[in-house]
Amino acid sequence: MNRNVLTRRSILVGVALATLAAAGCASKEPTTTPSGAANEFASLSGAVKASGASFPNAYYQKAIDEFLKVADNADVTYNSVGSGTGKKEFGQGLTDFAGSDSTVKDTDGVASGSFYYIPTVAAPITVSYNLSGVDSLKLSGTTVGSIFGRKITKWNDPAIVADNPGVTLPDKAITVVHRSDGSGTTNNFTKFLVAAGGPGWTLGSGDSVAWAADTQGGDKNTGVAQLVKQGDGAVGYVDFADATASGLKFASIKNKDGQFVAPSLDGATAALAGAEVKDDLTYNPINAAGAATYPITAPTYLLLKTTYTDAAKAKLVKGFVRWLLTDGQSFAASVNFAKLPADLQQMALSQLNKVQG
Amino acid sequence: MTQTVNNNRNSLGRRGRGVVGDRTFLIVSLIAGVLVLAILALILLTTLREAWPAFRYSGTDFVTSATWVPNDPDGDGPAKAQFGALAFIYGTVIVSIIALLFAVPISIGIALFLTELAPLRLRTPVVTVIDLLAAIPSVVFGLWGIIVVGPRLVPIYDWFHDVLGDVPVLGSVFGKPIASGRSFMTAGLIVAIMIVPIITSITREIFNTVPTEDKQAAFALGATRWEMIKGAVFPHSFGGMVGAVMLGMGRAMGETIAVALTMGAAVQIVPNVFASGNTLPAVIAQNWGDPGSELGRSALIACGVVLFGITILVNYGARIIVRRAEVRMKGAAV
Amino acid sequence: MTTFAPSAPARESVPDSLRRASLSRRRRLTDVVARSLIWLSLAVAVVPLGLVTYYVIAKGVHVMSWEFLTERIPRQAQTAGGGIGPAIIGTVVVTSVAALIAIPLGVLGAIYLNEYGRQSPLARTIRTMADVMTGVPSIMMGLFIFIAFVLLVGEKSGFAGSLALACLMLPVVIRTSEEMLRLVPDELRQASLALGARKWKTIVSVVLPAAISGITSGALLAIARAAGETAPILLVVGLVYRANWSLFGENTALPVQIYRNAQEPFETAVDRAWGAALTLVAIVLFTTLIGRFLANRFAIKER
Repeated sequence: MNRNVLTRRSILVGVALATLAAAGCASKEPTTTPSGAANEFASLSGAVKASGASFPNAYYQKAIDEFLKVADNADVTYNSVGSGTGKKEFGQGLTDFAGSDSTVKDTDGVASGSFYYIPTVAAPITVSYNLSGVDSLKLSGTTVGSIFGRKITKWNDPAIVADNPGVTLPDKAITVVHRSDGSGTTNNFTKFLVAAGGPGWTLGSGDSVAWAADTQGGDKNTGVAQLVKQGDGAVGYVDFADATASGLKFASIKNKDGQFVAPSLDGATAALAGAEVKDDLTYNPINAAGAATYPITAPTYLLLKTTYTDAAKAKLVKGFVRWLLTDGQSFAASVNFAKLPADLQQMALSQLNKVQG
Repeated sequence: MTQTVNNNRNSLGRRGRGVVGDRTFLIVSLIAGVLVLAILALILLTTLREAWPAFRYSGTDFVTSATWVPNDPDGDGPAKAQFGALAFIYGTVIVSIIALLFAVPISIGIALFLTELAPLRLRTPVVTVIDLLAAIPSVVFGLWGIIVVGPRLVPIYDWFHDVLGDVPVLGSVFGKPIASGRSFMTAGLIVAIMIVPIITSITREIFNTVPTEDKQAAFALGATRWEMIKGAVFPHSFGGMVGAVMLGMGRAMGETIAVALTMGAAVQIVPNVFASGNTLPAVIAQNWGDPGSELGRSALIACGVVLFGITILVNYGARIIVRRAEVRMKGAAV
Repeated sequence: MTTFAPSAPARESVPDSLRRASLSRRRRLTDVVARSLIWLSLAVAVVPLGLVTYYVIAKGVHVMSWEFLTERIPRQAQTAGGGIGPAIIGTVVVTSVAALIAIPLGVLGAIYLNEYGRQSPLARTIRTMADVMTGVPSIMMGLFIFIAFVLLVGEKSGFAGSLALACLMLPVVIRTSEEMLRLVPDELRQASLALGARKWKTIVSVVLPAAISGITSGALLAIARAAGETAPILLVVGLVYRANWSLFGENTALPVQIYRNAQEPFETAVDRAWGAALTLVAIVLFTTLIGRFLANRFAIKER
């Protein structure tokens, strides 16, 4: 069966066949159990398309690969095009579900009340740096704010020295690296800077901000990672998965409780546990309370429609997301993402059950 | 012996299938030709229509402000999205100027070499080399620039900065180099390599139209070869050379991918050529995947409109100058 | 006619003022310096070509293998192995369809310019505008096709990429084909017309075959240029990891893969970029050289 992105004609044929199959098999369908046996997913068929945030892309691609091994009659595609485009395509009906790091706003093109947020994973955003001779670095929130706000321009600035007693810092210029494309990662990182960055950070938060002069932009997280890797004295914000894979050094950031915590999956899970979860399941782990929390943890959600008109698609989407929230969570760590804490996972599963179709 | 030449009037008559064939062919080829005009007009119209929301939103700020923040309001972010493309226009101009500063002398040198100095057997290999240079895709130059050239140029930039850093005006032009090497200067150098072929080929054509009598007259008067070039070739070719340079400038302004890779996307207007910046086409390529909003996409298309306007003006003016110069030269040679 | 018997070698009788040594030192020096600079500029132009070729070959050869050319693109850039098979297929499909669109239209347009329009105002306008169009940045074609086609149809596709590349190729093919048609001697046309052929038949059976090698070489050069274009494909063709032989649905191409992988921090990804660059440069240079060869070998010499 053709696994490429299908043409419209083939989608119609596929849907027709799937509907027939679903109608034919309806009476024989087994009841789904949370610890889903493999045969539950093997009966799924058809194809669904999704797009959205690039931040969780590594996890979603791995999850799709593993899911397709279990549900080998189905096809799921996730295109990492960015949260903004992902939400727009979802609102236009071009995709069946979307990935987004940020909540939906009025201008995103998605009608409010037409979708559910499903938290899936989370990951730390590292402050990665490249400084020869300095292998461990501690930074407080205000220092980070002043570095990225270009109030501090050299590595041996008193503020950085104060954060790192006993470490000799070279007299080198700091090269700040940020994103050249609009991004949910920037959004979450700048939210942290607004919350904890102190007076050094004046640029607000958002998918992109008006970065100061003498900074550099890289395309996507990997582009930032490349720039940090290439420049001695560079510092930038990169998601944990890409930073680890690139072999970058990360700074330990001071959290709300005053502890310097290095970016790690445990730190991220602690941040999720310490975050306040709203009714629609959006939550804010940035600068969360807790001794072991890593303060720059980014949430990410899948947006699912409240009602799917196509029964076969609904089944596949719900099946995939259910797998993601159960068996799929075990793959998160292997690609450097933090799985959801137990209570958030349960909330997500019950939210998923509300999806009609 | 009157023999009916041909009862079938197709071959000599004015009616019949042949005429229809002629007319159809004429119309078909006419349409194909007019397609060029149609496409140009459509490009202008469609991009203008899509860009209009951004222009209306920003007003004249689009070309006078350097603040580019395509956010949706985010609570604690800037109050609303701002689209000011001045930094990109600045970047486009600076990169083109740097590219021309390097490319023009080299191109003129090569053109002179090919028309005046080259032994006959060297001519074809050199022309082949220039053609090969033109054939290499810009993305390959960008890859080479970002991985190999950029980091290696940083020590050279550092040296310039150390030597000239304290000089009043030059010091701010040769400021502190960015660590990765991705800057106006690196982008300008890479683009320079890419525009050498086009400037060379047009300049060569212009030089070829210099009347041999003028050159021989110079020699007869005892001129050295350089003096002959100065006295006979350059004055004749000046208009054409200007046109060739402008064509090179147009090409440099439109260069997207090599610049997107080697310039280190930063939104700023600074005199320091070793700092990062961005250009109009590069910002479109970098942000097209996720413009953030409909207005954001419209703003990117608006950047395209500005770029289109600039390059059309430059190219059109250049072609007129070159054609006029060629006509004048060919006319004088007859 | 008196015979002239040369006596002593002419050199001894050359007046002093005409010897090279009589040139002032300043003039001689300027001449030498100028000549050296001209030779130097040649070297300066050749060096980047040499360096780029060297690096592309040296770094690309490491990854080159049959697997590299045929395997799928890994979804994650840091995965080792995999290949760029889908990108090669994408480049071939998109560029060939673009050629199929642009070359016939371009040749027809050139026929109009040279055979029918000649120096009429319309033909002169078309000629100038075709020249101007060769200078339009390729990203504008991408924007245009995105607005006029992708937004209309609703999805990015390989066909949209072909349209954008065809817009880029069209003016180049028109201008080079027109040059070739102009070189065909008028006597051929007149002879054909005298034998009773219609104008269109003359063009199709006499003029075109005479110019065909030049037109082919011009077309090959346009194809080489189109195959290397990144920006329009980046905008309208989307991204896939598996080969897509059809024109519908998203696709990918070699230049786009190079662009993406060039900005990755992972060695495997950058190696993949060099390998793709080697493949692309090989395709483009091969096509360019064949085009040049055809032009030189079979060209109608200017009278």
